Amino acid sequence: MIREDEDKIYVCRCEEVTVGDVRRAIEAGADSIRDIKLRTHAGMGVCQGMTCRKNIERMLREKKIDPDACHTSQRFPVRMVQLGELARLVKEEQHE
Amino acid sequence: MNKDVIVIGGGIIGCAIAYSLQKRGKSVVLLEKHNLVAGASGACDQGILLQSKAPNEHLLLGIRAMEMYKELGRELGRDLEFTQKGYMLLMESELECRVMDGIIEKQRALGLPVERISADEALRRQPGINREEIVGATWCPWDSEVNPYMTALAYADRAAELGCDIRTRTPVTGLVMEGGAVKGVVTPQETMYAETVIDACGVWAPEIGRMAGLEIPIRPRRGQVYITEAVPLFMRCNLLNARYIVAKHHPELLAGDHSLKAQLGVGFCMTQSGKGNVMFGATREFAGMDNRCTLDGLREVLAEATRLMPAVKELNVIRTMSGLRPYSPDSKPLIGFVDGVPGFFMAAGHEGDGVSLAPTTGKMVADLIIDGTTDVPAAASFNPNRFDLRPKAP
Repeated sequence: MIREDEDKIYVCRCEEVTVGDVRRAIEAGADSIRDIKLRTHAGMGVCQGMTCRKNIERMLREKKIDPDACHTSQRFPVRMVQLGELARLVKEEQHE
Repeated sequence: MNKDVIVIGGGIIGCAIAYSLQKRGKSVVLLEKHNLVAGASGACDQGILLQSKAPNEHLLLGIRAMEMYKELGRELGRDLEFTQKGYMLLMESELECRVMDGIIEKQRALGLPVERISADEALRRQPGINREEIVGATWCPWDSEVNPYMTALAYADRAAELGCDIRTRTPVTGLVMEGGAVKGVVTPQETMYAETVIDACGVWAPEIGRMAGLEIPIRPRRGQVYITEAVPLFMRCNLLNARYIVAKHHPELLAGDHSLKAQLGVGFCMTQSGKGNVMFGATREFAGMDNRCTLDGLREVLAEATRLMPAVKELNVIRTMSGLRPYSPDSKPLIGFVDGVPGFFMAAGHEGDGVSLAPTTGKMVADLIIDGTTDVPAAASFNPNRFDLRPKAP
């Protein structure tokens, strides 16, 4: 059961996902960080899970689920970057 | 354990099949090695593209799938974010226009509302395109979008509500064979029996095929894409360049091109999700089972996107993604019973069309298994026995 206050506590600030949302995803069968991400969009925002990941892992462990059994891929970029800036860097690098 | 059907593979195809069979009263277990949508279904875009379909029964199939998507959210009890913003195909030469004009004429004859528009009209419909690089475009308002992960999970959840047994982290380690027929599957936990075993494993389909003594000609074809932060409406419609569709009809267009871009199969597509993230790509490379993003791939995709759509430079990228499409040699999936191996049914090889064709594939598989026949257009052309599936002598 989801307590009322759990829908007021945000786990993922970027995508506005609450504790209640994550608990509902676990009840629907999500058993990994990646499942939680696909069902709730937690971790899909600008910080890419840097803030919420630890908390969601803890929520999974509390349910006796091993969050390492299915993690998400770490992908470029580490931090958000403007595409124009990225294109400029690539061009400079190729001219060197 | 005894079931009517065992579906191997928890991607959008396996989930659609499990739902379609369970809905018609079959008892179904779905086995997934990792978690649901772990492969191509979890690394795809949202397009339901009709313009890319050959102007024959395949276009009729695409239209049927699009019509099914209109009702699917209600049927599965979830908002699948189905919208119809339409797609524009950007053309960069007079030759591309001539080829596309021929295709459009045939598509229109089959009922698809697709039209040729000028470069200026293309810019009016979607600001930010590079006017210098295009000579015209095609436009089809029926091309659509859907949330692909939501769709696959909605299929799985609804199937489970109807009684389907869905088991994740359950790899199939072997098939139960009796006299050349498939009778069940072996997992680390137990042996399960069923009348029909379906291989819906996408790029992993050949692994299951080998357990039945078959050589399934599906290969992983990698695609690399960028995803930006969510922004207000940026894409009024979806974009694609026409080059790959044209090259299917005129292979010589790409044959002489040995650039890195051509080697990596870089095409241009761009779309914006309901949340506001803009996604663009993509490469089409054969790199084995390696699904990492590469520096070369990301550089070439970025160069192509900023060339055709310079406005994208204003956006911030938050993630890149790479996935493996299940490529089949004639660009058509393998769907049907395999001759000579009773009980073994193939449903894989959709390459980039898995999301588009999931509803029709689910229906077609249920029809074939329960009725032995189907009214889904183009079904006969997906017969897996069009390929020689027997292993070649060494």
